[in-house]
Amino acid sequence: MSTPPMRRLVLDVLKPHKPSMTAFASEIASVATVEAVNVALVETDDKVQNIKLTVEGDDVDTEDIESEVKGLGGSVHSVDEVAVGERIVEERPTPQER
Amino acid sequence: MTRISEVLVDPISRRYFVSNGFDGALTSVGIVVGAYLSGVPDGFTVVKIGVGAAVGLGTSGFWSVWEIEKAEKLAELYEIEESMLEDLDETRPHLKKREARRSNAFMSGLGPILAVLLTVSPFLFEGEPLGMLGATLVSVGVAVAVLFALGAYMGKLSRRAWYVAGARMGLAGVFVALINVLLPG
Repeated sequence: MSTPPMRRLVLDVLKPHKPSMTAFASEIASVATVEAVNVALVETDDKVQNIKLTVEGDDVDTEDIESEVKGLGGSVHSVDEVAVGERIVEERPTPQER
Repeated sequence: MTRISEVLVDPISRRYFVSNGFDGALTSVGIVVGAYLSGVPDGFTVVKIGVGAAVGLGTSGFWSVWEIEKAEKLAELYEIEESMLEDLDETRPHLKKREARRSNAFMSGLGPILAVLLTVSPFLFEGEPLGMLGATLVSVGVAVAVLFALGAYMGKLSRRAWYVAGARMGLAGVFVALINVLLPG
């Protein structure tokens, strides 16, 4: 049985100021299995930036993404969201969160 | 491969280029005026001395900046590594710093080589149509023009009156020529 395709991956990443957020996003977008990228700044300090990296595609290759992040000088702190399957299931609020 | 335009806009490369170009132009003013006053008989000898100076200053510019920037850029990288808690060896930041060091060293060596060769070049025409005095005066003029150009470029960058900034740098060439003339012996 084949593995269901990875549609969306959200990573918590720590990176140096250079490459810039735009260069970083462009480089991640150039990974073969990635169709679209979003990079959001979570926190910044003197030397590093903490970003939320969201990538989407028909079947995103997680290892390629992590290797590209590392090559750009970043490090993946955690995998914050994953959407796998024939379509993307959005996170839903539960009654306890209301 | 880094594009030339990227190298030229890099502030560190620019500083080294201008600073060492300034050294090269003033050193060559000293050489050409000193050569004339010492009675060097032909222009080609002055050119040979100039090429020697260009090799020396160019090597000095390249070599010193290579070592300086290696230390500075590694120190910067270690600071980032401490914040990242990661080894950044062979990652993009490391490769970019290595590339920048090469550009810095190249521009640092290029500045004095261009300045010296341009300044002594009128001596290639010594004999016909220029005499030794004529070649010396044209050389000093070329050095002042090179200094003016460097100053004007800096003035434009810093949004000051480019001609004032150029004149301030150019004046240094005249000053060195006069000092050489006034020196005893």
